[in-house]
Amino acid sequence: MALIRGRDRKGAAQIFTASMADIVFLLIVFFVLTYKVEVDRTRMDLPDTWVRIKVPEKAAVISISPPDANPPLTIRVSTGEEMSLPVSTDEEIVTFASTEVARNPNKEFIVKADDAVPYERIDAVLDALKQSKVKFIYLLSDQKTVAE
Amino acid sequence: MKIKKKDIQSEIFTGSMADISFLLIIYFMITSAFSATRGLDFALPEDTQTPEIKQEDSIDVHVVRGGAIEVDGSGVPLEGLLPYVAEKLKQNPDKPVILRTDPDATYGDMIRVFDELRQAPSKIDMEIKTISIPTRREIENLWSMLGIQ
Repeated sequence: MALIRGRDRKGAAQIFTASMADIVFLLIVFFVLTYKVEVDRTRMDLPDTWVRIKVPEKAAVISISPPDANPPLTIRVSTGEEMSLPVSTDEEIVTFASTEVARNPNKEFIVKADDAVPYERIDAVLDALKQSKVKFIYLLSDQKTVAE
Repeated sequence: MKIKKKDIQSEIFTGSMADISFLLIIYFMITSAFSATRGLDFALPEDTQTPEIKQEDSIDVHVVRGGAIEVDGSGVPLEGLLPYVAEKLKQNPDKPVILRTDPDATYGDMIRVFDELRQAPSKIDMEIKTISIPTRREIENLWSMLGIQ
């Protein structure tokens, strides 16, 4: 009779996975709570500022792409609830902003532009917003740090 | 004859839960973005309350190409802007600041100066009541009204 020695018995290797479900659900809850739809996904290097005020969540967005983007200096507009769409002329910005102001006279507008955009473009956008009787404008920025 | 009852244990099949959970995590990780939600604010005056600001009654800050600044016609470093403004505000606390930017300067150049002006309460312990950012069209309209070519 062959004896089974202790060293020959093979115990199945196991990874303890009972807490995995807890961790996974914790992550899901975190993402569900912090999830926000970004209405404009244009990647850019925002200017850095010390003073930063929280922008309203449903504010309309006007973004200007960087000069080295492809295509460069593209202006996109969003109502704050729908994904942004490109516009080709300053008159279209006036039409868009006027429509939003007609719906809500206190509608806030966010100008999201790259640090390197020539001021001429910003001036045209601000002028269009002023013509449309916009009251509140936010210039989106990143936090400035001491190293900068 | 007795019929032996079979004990059937009720179970919820959770084998695919991990797959679904990981799929949800991957979806949220890809689609969520930590976007910038802060910036510099400014309110535009309404038509009924628009005061006409004359250049000589205000502090004229001009951002030129390259980011250098001229205050009331003379070149001043960015660090010297608020001390100059403080001197002027001591004489007249309501004195407005006009921030003009050269079309060839960058947006970042203008924002650096605007940010500096907005820091007046913490740096010089004074508040700039009005910071006006006129557009080129508004400046040209004013010049044509004054008969300046």
